Amino acid sequence: MASPITSWEGAEVIFTFADKPVIIGLILSLSIAVTIFGIVATLKHENKTYIDYQD
Amino acid sequence: MDASVVPTNLELKALIDMSTAINMEVFYWWCTALMVIIHAGFLAYEMGASRLKNALASGVKNILAFAFVVPTFFFFGWWIYLAMYGGFSPDFEAAAAGVPWSASMGPNLTDNARGIFWGAFVLFAATTASIMSGAVIERIRMSAFIILAIILGSGVWILAASWGWHPDGWLVSEWGFHDFGAAGCVHLVAGFFAMGVIINLGARIGRFDIQGNPVDIEGHSMPMTIIGLMLIIVGFFGFLGGCIIYSGTGQWTTIFGTPATLSAVSFNTLIAFSGGIIGSYLVTRQPFWMMSGGLAGIISAAPGLELYYPPLAFMIAIFAGSVAPMVDKFITRKFKLDDPVGAFAVHGMSGLIGLIALGIFASGYPNVNGPAISFTGQLSGALVMAALGFIPGYFVSLMMVKMGLLRVPPKAEVAGLDLVEVPLSAYPDGLPARSNNKPITL
Repeated sequence: MASPITSWEGAEVIFTFADKPVIIGLILSLSIAVTIFGIVATLKHENKTYIDYQD
Repeated sequence: MDASVVPTNLELKALIDMSTAINMEVFYWWCTALMVIIHAGFLAYEMGASRLKNALASGVKNILAFAFVVPTFFFFGWWIYLAMYGGFSPDFEAAAAGVPWSASMGPNLTDNARGIFWGAFVLFAATTASIMSGAVIERIRMSAFIILAIILGSGVWILAASWGWHPDGWLVSEWGFHDFGAAGCVHLVAGFFAMGVIINLGARIGRFDIQGNPVDIEGHSMPMTIIGLMLIIVGFFGFLGGCIIYSGTGQWTTIFGTPATLSAVSFNTLIAFSGGIIGSYLVTRQPFWMMSGGLAGIISAAPGLELYYPPLAFMIAIFAGSVAPMVDKFITRKFKLDDPVGAFAVHGMSGLIGLIALGIFASGYPNVNGPAISFTGQLSGALVMAALGFIPGYFVSLMMVKMGLLRVPPKAEVAGLDLVEVPLSAYPDGLPARSNNKPITL
């Protein structure tokens, strides 16, 4: 379950999976990987589009 | 009155505390929203300053700077600010709340401050990347730019902020460095970083003739550029609002704890804007530099916006506004550098002028945590910031040159980056018809 709380009474940290550090770690790692992938994809897009514009 | 409905002192205190916390959130929320207008401004500014064939590519680049700086600032930028205030050795304990898996780095009903301050700081971060963005238009590779934007926006500037724009930063506590409006960690650092990059990037094809004389390459829409500059100025009011600490229980303070008022910032921001415009107008008579000069004027007064007698801020801004176009002309003619939007002159040089001016005119003002403001403290701090910006900008871009990753191929540059990289036309009637990113004859 994504909710770290079962009641709003005394609730503090409420973000999804806050009580499941392994899942937090996985989501964080995935988001870092996707960010890096975004840069790599940009590089690949450039290399592909530059093929017709090489000297 | 029914005693059961009369609040106790504890209940009243809890109510006041919650109102204070929410007022603080509201204040920084709108500062952050206004700062987004800075990016609308940079977007219009850069697209207008690009030739028609590069208008959208410049826009994509600018938007991606924002998009990549925000998550990377979450991953490690905020941690750098909290951890590195002492130099290069991190304080892991102080920065524990800034790691991306911390309980404070997401919705938390007991922490109204973390996210809203993080939001304001990430907009400062994106601003630094946008400053560099304009200097490299029309010839940098998108991927190289994204990497440089991340290094600057989520690494270099925030390290500078930790040193000189943090209550315990070593520049503040040891040298009395004072910089209310982030002229150093944002503008000076970004301007010098951009300088380091354009040295390695080289000029756009056609920017200099065979004899090395500069040839003007004008953007396709000067009105768009000028409106963009005005939007940046509007956003600056959010930026400067984000530079002041709202405690809710007493006087506003600077980020390093000295008392300040928004009224003071209002006086000096507006008059410095005017001074910068006048200074640039006297030298150039043209609106691009008038608006850039207005920006230079605010930046030059930024370190002491909460302290200056307004006519003094006005005079400093006139000086910075008149110097900026001359500096740009000088680096273009003397060093053959191509900075299409004058990023170094407007941000780097005005930041430098501003920090030194504060050392000249505001020496002796006490700091809360460290020695009083002094000329040597300001000058030394400015030099540290300049080095912190220039060195990574220069060496990372040099490495990219060696790997062939910094600049687009000459043929692509000549054809125009919209045609080559962007599957959309800004002005379809103004570009050749295309198929598979090549021009075709119909």
